[in-house]
Amino acid sequence: MSLKWRIAIIFGLIAASFWTLFPRTVVERVKRNGEFVYDTVRRVPLKRGLDLQGGMHLALEVDESKGVVADKSKAIDNALKVVRNRIDEFGVSEPVVQKAGNDRIIVELPGIDDPRRAQDVVQKSAFLEFQITDETQALEKALPRLDALLKGKTVAAAVATPGAKKDTTASSAGLQSLFTADTSKKADSAKTDSAKAAGGTVGGPGAFSKLVQQGRMPGEYYVAQTDVATMTQYLALPEVAAAMPPGKVLRWSGDTVSLGGRIYRGLYVLDAKPIITGEFLTDAKPNTSPTEGNLVQFTMNNEGARRFRTETGRHIKDYMAIVLDQRVMGQPPIIQSAIGVNGQITMGGKDLQAAQDLALVLRAGSLPVPLKVADVRVIGASLGQDSIHKSIVAGSIAIALVVVIMLGYYRFSGALAVAALVLYILYTLAALAGFQAVLTLPGLAGFVLSIGIAVDANVLIFERIREELAHGKTVRTAIDEGFRHAMSAIVDSNVSTALTAAVLYQYGTGPVRGFAVTLLAGIAASMITSIFVVRTFYMIWLNRSRDAQTSLSI
Amino acid sequence: MLRILHDTNYDFIRWWKVMAAITIAFIVLGLGSLAIKPLNLSIEFTGGTLMQLEFTQPPDVGQIRSTLDGAGIHGAEIQQFGTNREFTVRAQDPAAVAAQSKGAEGISVTIERVLKQKFGENSLRVVRTEGVGPRVGDELKRGAIIAILLSFLITLVYLSIRFEWRFATAAVIATSHDVFTTIAFLKLMHLEISLTVVAGLLTVLGYSLNDTIIIFDRVRENLRKGRKETLYETLNRSINETLPRSILTHATVLAATLSLLFFAGEVIRPFAWVMAFGIITGTFSSIYVAAPVLLWIERKWPRQTGARQTSSTATPTSRTRRSTATATR
Repeated sequence: MSLKWRIAIIFGLIAASFWTLFPRTVVERVKRNGEFVYDTVRRVPLKRGLDLQGGMHLALEVDESKGVVADKSKAIDNALKVVRNRIDEFGVSEPVVQKAGNDRIIVELPGIDDPRRAQDVVQKSAFLEFQITDETQALEKALPRLDALLKGKTVAAAVATPGAKKDTTASSAGLQSLFTADTSKKADSAKTDSAKAAGGTVGGPGAFSKLVQQGRMPGEYYVAQTDVATMTQYLALPEVAAAMPPGKVLRWSGDTVSLGGRIYRGLYVLDAKPIITGEFLTDAKPNTSPTEGNLVQFTMNNEGARRFRTETGRHIKDYMAIVLDQRVMGQPPIIQSAIGVNGQITMGGKDLQAAQDLALVLRAGSLPVPLKVADVRVIGASLGQDSIHKSIVAGSIAIALVVVIMLGYYRFSGALAVAALVLYILYTLAALAGFQAVLTLPGLAGFVLSIGIAVDANVLIFERIREELAHGKTVRTAIDEGFRHAMSAIVDSNVSTALTAAVLYQYGTGPVRGFAVTLLAGIAASMITSIFVVRTFYMIWLNRSRDAQTSLSI
Repeated sequence: MLRILHDTNYDFIRWWKVMAAITIAFIVLGLGSLAIKPLNLSIEFTGGTLMQLEFTQPPDVGQIRSTLDGAGIHGAEIQQFGTNREFTVRAQDPAAVAAQSKGAEGISVTIERVLKQKFGENSLRVVRTEGVGPRVGDELKRGAIIAILLSFLITLVYLSIRFEWRFATAAVIATSHDVFTTIAFLKLMHLEISLTVVAGLLTVLGYSLNDTIIIFDRVRENLRKGRKETLYETLNRSINETLPRSILTHATVLAATLSLLFFAGEVIRPFAWVMAFGIITGTFSSIYVAAPVLLWIERKWPRQTGARQTSSTATPTSRTRRSTATATR
């Protein structure tokens, strides 16, 4: 190959690398003031892994604690659609939702800094149940027992969420203008709020019962939004769970209601055994009726319809809670007559959007399986930044040291190797960007390490050239022979490393995969630069300085 | 021209028995101590929860521990991580892992809640959370072992094609030696074995193999020259001839490794340690495992040299010639 062609190829590669790495404008979903919007961003097209940019990785599995699932693979396939729908709605830039193995879903949400909310969204919309509200006043009967239990027991303060704080101010403002019969009670609970904010609540007399008040239908109770966190903690106590009426479950409502200026959340006592679950649902769509407002109509399959008919027939005039992931959706409707194939859920004055959302959730969420989180990894954005920064520092120092060693030992030839090393770094990064590889922290470490390893091929070649020179060969011949003889060692060692990297890629997960990709890109780039580029440099030098051919600084 | 260890003629292999004793002692010490305490496996493999926390003020570790104990999280390991305001909390005991099977996020939420109650809402920040269920860990363990074994197999095949089976076997045995020494090193240093460390181990294996291949490549070439010398002598000659290259490459790789060790932060440090040790064990095994094993294989299954049956044959056989011919094409 002529020298001109070689130079052209090298410059071609440089140009291609710059083109690949040049910051470009991409449309992305980005976060602005806590909202995700589509926007154009200019950035270097190097994908950063979750461990470098922060975010959340989740592995979801079928939760079999409530019963064995026969065909997990199929169940996961269905669940995958649900999760994907949910994630899309959540609005994360470049989320990953994929099936892993036979029975697992991997979700990666870059840049999510609120892991709990994202986790909720992922796990939500998986399990639909219809449950009859309690008619037996079971909670009422259990209240004295619960109060006695909590008496004198210190319960750690709830972590006040910003939302809850807002509610507190809203409610106290409302208090001043309202003098209902309930004022004393509300003032009481407002006091509890401030006590809670101070750091701890001592469950005094009636600790449990003062938090709940009877709702508008059997089995319905209201808890002030400000007390929800405390109540949740009470309910989480093992002794409270044990004291709950048997055969009943408590479920929060998914919505809040505003009563007399205060915001309340519904708490429902339901029959533990659902009359039917979402696995029989075949379709759901939003609709608007002139008399009932917005609603969602749903369709059951034959078996579901048969069961549903029998069960609802047995519960006429009872209230049926529609429970999605243990949250009661809307106001439980009263069962007017036996419901068969088609049923409907009225939205209670909510807008059509809400009906559409519920329909989507019902359609997508009509799954037989609940999901659980098998594996979670949350990396703060600052940690990722820190990792990148430290890797850059370590990389720069590594480069500096390698440059010193190469220049000190090989002088002029070392300088050629250093120039090739610069190209090595450029080509490797470009290859990573070009193949859209994901840069991870182990990957960065591997890259830094590869800077030290990349010069190995040059070292092999230079040592060979030295040997040939020692044998009394001319500079030109020594260079030729040096490259030729070093070739087999370089090829064999690099190919075997590449094979190992390929295995690592195949069997590795997440960060380790990133490492393997970096390794592969590095091997390719190092072969090109140390063999082809350095050779070309020598050829240029031989052409330029004919008198220098008698001695080579190596 | 600056030269290090140029034109040397050390009899490296003469010391192989001493070296074998040293490395066996090291491996026995390392692996033997496994009987007392098992390997320090990360939660990725055992299941459990890891949290990295950053406090605004240096906290009292005892208080963290008692707070967690109070919340029913026993036996959590609390370690300083970098500065004295950063800590990792690892809940890895069987009870914590069992709780994990109900949902991996549970324990981390509890830890965050109780610590914020104890130290104040704004006194700490969760920098990183990892929660792994027991099943995921088992699969990763299997994946790591498969990866190592498969890479051995592939290497064996590749080197058998490029060299011949004797060289390939010796190289793979030398590399397996590094697996054991590195595990012994990890054990003696009490380093946590994470996925990143496994990646480091595989890098070490690749690096060590490289080193062996460079020497074997020389042996292959020297054999082809058909000098009147024994394989023992050829091996020594090849090691000596590649010595300057070994020194230089080890120096640059060590430079990169030390930069990682000192400047790349806590997360990468175990990886850097493994690599630093890998430079030593890789060099060692290329000389003192690969070469003696090759000699031993030669003695047991000598290459067909016609009349002579001794291992000290220097004349390459027609078979070797064919295989090397393809290699140098």
